[in-house]
Amino acid sequence: MERNPIRRQLAIMRQSLFDQGHVDEQFVQLEELQDDANPNFVEEVVTLYYRDSARIILNIEQALERKPFDFGKLDAYMHQFKGSSSSIGAKKVKAESTLFRECCKSGNGEGCMRSFQQLKKEYATLRKKFGAYFQLARQAGPVETASRPK
Amino acid sequence: MALTLPLGEASDQDKWDNGGLERKRQLLIEIVLRSRLTALMVDGDTTCWVLEQELLRSYGVQTLGVDNGRDAIDLIASDAAFNLIIIEKILPVLNGLEVTRQICEIGMRCKMLAVTAYSGESERQAFLATSVDVFIEKPLDLEHLVPILRELDRQ
Repeated sequence: MERNPIRRQLAIMRQSLFDQGHVDEQFVQLEELQDDANPNFVEEVVTLYYRDSARIILNIEQALERKPFDFGKLDAYMHQFKGSSSSIGAKKVKAESTLFRECCKSGNGEGCMRSFQQLKKEYATLRKKFGAYFQLARQAGPVETASRPK
Repeated sequence: MALTLPLGEASDQDKWDNGGLERKRQLLIEIVLRSRLTALMVDGDTTCWVLEQELLRSYGVQTLGVDNGRDAIDLIASDAAFNLIIIEKILPVLNGLEVTRQICEIGMRCKMLAVTAYSGESERQAFLATSVDVFIEKPLDLEHLVPILRELDRQ
């Protein structure tokens, strides 16, 4: 049991990300790649994700303003978005991406728009949760690990 | 640009150099590679590229990445050699399927993994028809990667 109150709160926050279905086991993979040489790896990758995916979101928004919908293009954008979302373990965002792509495949424009609205909500919610999580993680400081012989 | 990274024993120093490589082995699936393996990643998405690179580097694999199909072809055509190529389907300039075909036409022999956001069985079949060895739905996971690294290490 974590004695440090900030670390305890951090652990609770982390657990809720999983319990609420926002992230999946891939997020654990990110954490396992973080170490003394890359102490902020998880936050850096998540920041990178939100930076790059913003462009894809914009592309999709613009594509959804053009009628008739180019479902091929929409699917291609979402293919990329789904790939990067799944790579950081963004579970709900990934699920909505899959739904969107199914709508593209069936030529369901209304479905695409509904799904995209939901996707943006999940994307924004997760961003907020990550923001709070990493802010607390910075306060908590790095976890001490055994030093290795040189 | 010619880029051939020689195969050889990964030294003990190399194993310690990545500030905690040994710690990662305690958490990740433990394997010890005898050879210095090299990998090329072809993915237009930076997030995926960074993660795959870090995952491979955590096992001591030397990595090189390009973000479009044309650069991948140019690299292979200039006699760059890799043990492993990881390729996404949707790429700028040339798509992953076409890149895979051209790599085979050039005569490059190495393990090729399609690692892509899954679009359906037809995508899997299309990639496998281009001589990709393994098709993996993103994200690249250890259950697929570790046996492949072991196999490459034995060769």
